[in-house]
Amino acid sequence: MKPLISLLILLISCFFSALVAIKHGAIDINASAVWQTLFAYDANVFEQKIVMELRIPRVILAFVAGSGLALAGIILQTVTRNPLADPYLFGISSGASFGVVLLITFTGITAGWAMSGAAFLGSALAMTLLLLIAYGQRARQVEAMLLAGVALSFLFSAFTSLLLYWSDPQAVSAIMFWNLGSFSRADWQWLWLPCSIVLLCMACMLLFRRGLNALLLGDESAATLGIQVAKLRLGMLLLSSLLTAVLVAMCGGIGFVGLMIPHLVRFFISQATSIGLLCTALSGGLMMIWVDLFARTILDNQELPIGVITAAIGSVFFLTLLTLKQKRP
Amino acid sequence: MSAQPLVRVRMRTACQHSEFALQVSNLDLVLDNHQILQNISFDVTEGQFIGLLGPNGAGKSSLLRCLYRFFTPSSGQIILFNKTISSFSHNEYAQQVAVVLQEMPEHFNLSLYDVVAMGVTPHKSLFSPLNKADHELIAKSIEQVGLVHKINEAFAHLSGGEKQRALIAKAMAQKPKLLIMDEPTSHLDVKYQIQIMELAKAMGITVIASFHDLNLAAAMSDSLLVLQHGELYRSGAPSDVLDAQLLSDVFDVCAEVSQVSCPYRDKTHIPHIRYHFGYQL
Repeated sequence: MKPLISLLILLISCFFSALVAIKHGAIDINASAVWQTLFAYDANVFEQKIVMELRIPRVILAFVAGSGLALAGIILQTVTRNPLADPYLFGISSGASFGVVLLITFTGITAGWAMSGAAFLGSALAMTLLLLIAYGQRARQVEAMLLAGVALSFLFSAFTSLLLYWSDPQAVSAIMFWNLGSFSRADWQWLWLPCSIVLLCMACMLLFRRGLNALLLGDESAATLGIQVAKLRLGMLLLSSLLTAVLVAMCGGIGFVGLMIPHLVRFFISQATSIGLLCTALSGGLMMIWVDLFARTILDNQELPIGVITAAIGSVFFLTLLTLKQKRP
Repeated sequence: MSAQPLVRVRMRTACQHSEFALQVSNLDLVLDNHQILQNISFDVTEGQFIGLLGPNGAGKSSLLRCLYRFFTPSSGQIILFNKTISSFSHNEYAQQVAVVLQEMPEHFNLSLYDVVAMGVTPHKSLFSPLNKADHELIAKSIEQVGLVHKINEAFAHLSGGEKQRALIAKAMAQKPKLLIMDEPTSHLDVKYQIQIMELAKAMGITVIASFHDLNLAAAMSDSLLVLQHGELYRSGAPSDVLDAQLLSDVFDVCAEVSQVSCPYRDKTHIPHIRYHFGYQL
């Protein structure tokens, strides 16, 4: 079976990519040290401490963020039946930026978990508004959601720009760096949160996959298959918003993954199968591990923002997709 | 000689299991203060093919939407196999009634097989995967509509007729007792119009379909329902329903109706409509 083979290949490549990503970085660590860290950890050995305290949580966070964003993307694309939907289209990340900017301008705090908290509250605000609008517009839910999402996104961006206009240059650069995304804040203490939300989301998607598939047919057709369309859509929207809010709070703004990965996987494997969903999550994670590795190794002593790399790859990817699609009759 | 009239005066009998697949009585539908459907009553005998006719905006789609529970009627009663339709759960209802609509999944690269496989959805619980019997049922449905050679093709790349056949295969996989189709033959070539109707008939279950082509409806249906301004204007066997007066009153066209001989399906005659042109509307 072809899809099963793709799943296996993805699993194996995720495993080896993770090992490569753990080995390489500001200083390269040999495989035996990595091995020892995993099975006989000694906190007094400097290399092992790097692997345990920095590299492993970082690779895990990168993987989880990648798969989470891919899942959020596939959920939003499915429930809106719009292949261009992505977690950032709905104002969730603009809400997060707004929260961070508010925090920085009014308290001066530019680091630490206060920023993640502010980002989470900001995206939660955007998400609540979006859900309320979707809930109020049961008849033309999809159109209302898309328009409201874009409007909210612009609204929060406007507030953010206004606040930035009044704040000092230091705050501006702090916000800028945060907005472009990074996994440098990964640590063991908070890793459980994105991991459990991504797992929860995956489980729900596998459980409700038939309902999600039926939504692709159209609201009316889905209803005639016994699906409670409005309920399922709101539930899934809530789930993907929560996922995005947590990931944005921990890693900052990482665009294009949610849009790109589901598209890429859909080319090869049908998203209507459970294997297709698993492959989407794994591909997102795999891509993010490599993007993070590039971000921290491509320049000496400097880390590139993740969002820049994903957006650059993403735009090129889309332009290629566009030309390829045009060639097809 | 015409097929026995289906839409008849309601007879309340002591018999628990009536032969009716569907009984609609005094149906009213009001949406946003607009009266869409008014006082519609009809019965459908099990196994019959019902054609729903009427000009644009007469309420055909709205009536069908009430029947497949997308709209909730403002008043009146719809009874499916002796049970009020609101008493079915979502899944139970989908196990009884399959619907073929004009909605098509164009994006997302779904294959024909994926789309047909969605038909078994109401028969599966949250956890159960597709088993061998399901796969066989899906394959059989695809075979019945003659699309085996396209089984792995993207749904979006199929032609209009093939898409419609795929949706019928989806309905077959749903194993319903009633099939509802909303203008299943619009935009299709003549060949596919006939093919789609034959496929629906071949399922051997009760079918309710709305039509634009009156001649096709007359040839295919055991009984016709004609709607005008949200009311049931006339109902009965095609030869009794379709005449020049009705075409003028309901459809606002000038036409003559002749009875042509029809050797198929124990019918002897079906009405045939010839439209006139060149007159002032």
